[in-house]
Amino acid sequence: MASPQFDIKIGRDGKVTVKVHGVSGSKCIELSDMVRDIVGREDSRKLTSEYYGGDGHVRINAEVHDRTGR
Amino acid sequence: MSTVCILTPIVIGSWPSIVSAVMGAAGAMGFSVAASAEAPAGTAVDSVETEVANSQVLSEAMSRGEKIRIQKDGVVVEVGVDARGRCSVCASGAGLTKSQLEKIGEDIAGRVVQQFAYHKLMTELKSRGFSIEQERVSNDHSIEVRVRMDR
Repeated sequence: MASPQFDIKIGRDGKVTVKVHGVSGSKCIELSDMVRDIVGREDSRKLTSEYYGGDGHVRINAEVHDRTGR
Repeated sequence: MSTVCILTPIVIGSWPSIVSAVMGAAGAMGFSVAASAEAPAGTAVDSVETEVANSQVLSEAMSRGEKIRIQKDGVVVEVGVDARGRCSVCASGAGLTKSQLEKIGEDIAGRVVQQFAYHKLMTELKSRGFSIEQERVSNDHSIEVRVRMDR
């Protein structure tokens, strides 16, 4: 599994944009909070598809019934 | 991507840490440290004061009233600590309008915040086991850094 990575852009006005990669779910939130606490105040946060990806596998729970209901 | 956060830095630090950020901003913008802020005799000099947003210089002996002066092309910029402990930027220079001086002051204030945020982030992330993979200054003077957690 990829290790956590930050892409950080600090604008000439000091505004900081941070993209968190390589983790998902609660770990992702935890790392975002960590960076926020270092920098100062959060203006906005957007969760993207990787956040919802878990370990990168898609899990399908399916049950098959025959027409008689068994 | 998993999350994208937009953050506003809070500049809270000791006077030496602010001076360090001012020196970084000055170097990046082509300013040099000025020995004296005095204007040539007989020259009318305008000045405009700006505040560094969300700043607080931690109180220490001698921090109040301290200033650092930088200059470039006849413009002198003083960065100091005001009576409330906030970081202030005063730009002055002959032959420039108030709005031009205001723009210069705001530019310097922004770059001081940029340098402060950069140094704080890099120091804290390194102490948490991250290391810098790539770093560059883009054409719009943004600092772009990629850091990764060491395995």
